[in-house]
Amino acid sequence: MNPTIIAIEYFLPNIEIDNQQLEKEFPDWDSKKIEDKVGIKTRHVVQADETALDIALKAADKILKYYNKELIDFLLFCTESPDYFLPPNACLLQDRLKLPTSIGALDYNLGCSGYIYGLAIAKGLIRAGIAKSILLIMAETYTKYIHKRDKSNRTIFGDGAAATIIESFEQSHIGEFVFGTDGSGYENLIVPCGGHRERKAHYHQEIEDPPGSFRTRQNLYMNGQEIFNFTINNVPRLVEQVLLKNNITIDQIDCVVFHQANKYILNYLRKKMGIPQEKFYINMEQTGNTVSATIPIALKDCLTNNIIKKGDKVLLVGFGVGYSWGGTVISI
Amino acid sequence: MTRAEFIERLKDIMQIEENDIDEDTNMRNLAGFDSLAVLSIIALIDEHFQKTIRASEFKNVTTIKSLIELIGPEKFE
Repeated sequence: MNPTIIAIEYFLPNIEIDNQQLEKEFPDWDSKKIEDKVGIKTRHVVQADETALDIALKAADKILKYYNKELIDFLLFCTESPDYFLPPNACLLQDRLKLPTSIGALDYNLGCSGYIYGLAIAKGLIRAGIAKSILLIMAETYTKYIHKRDKSNRTIFGDGAAATIIESFEQSHIGEFVFGTDGSGYENLIVPCGGHRERKAHYHQEIEDPPGSFRTRQNLYMNGQEIFNFTINNVPRLVEQVLLKNNITIDQIDCVVFHQANKYILNYLRKKMGIPQEKFYINMEQTGNTVSATIPIALKDCLTNNIIKKGDKVLLVGFGVGYSWGGTVISI
Repeated sequence: MTRAEFIERLKDIMQIEENDIDEDTNMRNLAGFDSLAVLSIIALIDEHFQKTIRASEFKNVTTIKSLIELIGPEKFE
């Protein structure tokens, strides 16, 4: 059995916020600087009554146009902005997509490392003979958590969803995995309120941090500096371990696809690890950081634009909120 | 890296051309000291001094001198 990715499709919601619009809202924000350093020109935002579930459906619909839904026997749904705490949102997806009622389905809550974990679970299910055809959907709407006047987070994050089918297939495969978890960093990328630790905000005042950016305890908070520290201290080692475990060197890798956090961090990591520019994919120009959807969106774009071709070995690395991280090598 | 070279690198990061930047300059007063500059400074320190600066430590940095103190003056040539 050779679990592998058979197809990927993605969906970006219709409303676009480009750098010029952000410049109008934040007069001291330089749109050229954002484009150059952060690598983002525009990001997509869901409407008020549109959720991660809605865009998940749209991504899945795209793939089900050509993939027979009757074959699917397991559904994995990764999101940090569910419609409901319960029931599992994957159940709603099964119903709305009219997938067979004989399938297994579950939600899992991960961000930037989500796709790597999804691939690992799918591989395990197939290898253990538990499932044959897995529909893995990532859908994220961080914009719903971000305060209107949070300059930095509004610049970085965009909404998006991606659907992937994983099956067993002779010539290609999903390789070995390395994971990591460090919950001591939990407060550095967090929505403090809404869960049971603090259901309603303890205080409602706006916090200005850093200067010029505003949020309340119901909004997303990201400590950019600490996240950067975490990344530079953990990702190079992760990449070393993934290559070792897959018995492969960076020279034998055809393309490197990291979680598309922002251009600055990715360039720094690339230089630090000595990975040649031509095999290191960086592109979040039209999407911003779509969290768990960045890797499948990047893979799809690479395939569409012939940056990756059949048989190529691709290093996938996800890292972020949690802290959580993971990597693998796939042969597409 | 010498202290003078370090100041030049900081000037690059914050896109400053003036020559009257020295160790007593308070970086927080400079227009170029934004969140992207902070990341670049952290990266510079990681690359050249192999040191991690926590956000809580960086909060107390004001002048370039205070940043040098945080890195450790002995680390400079």
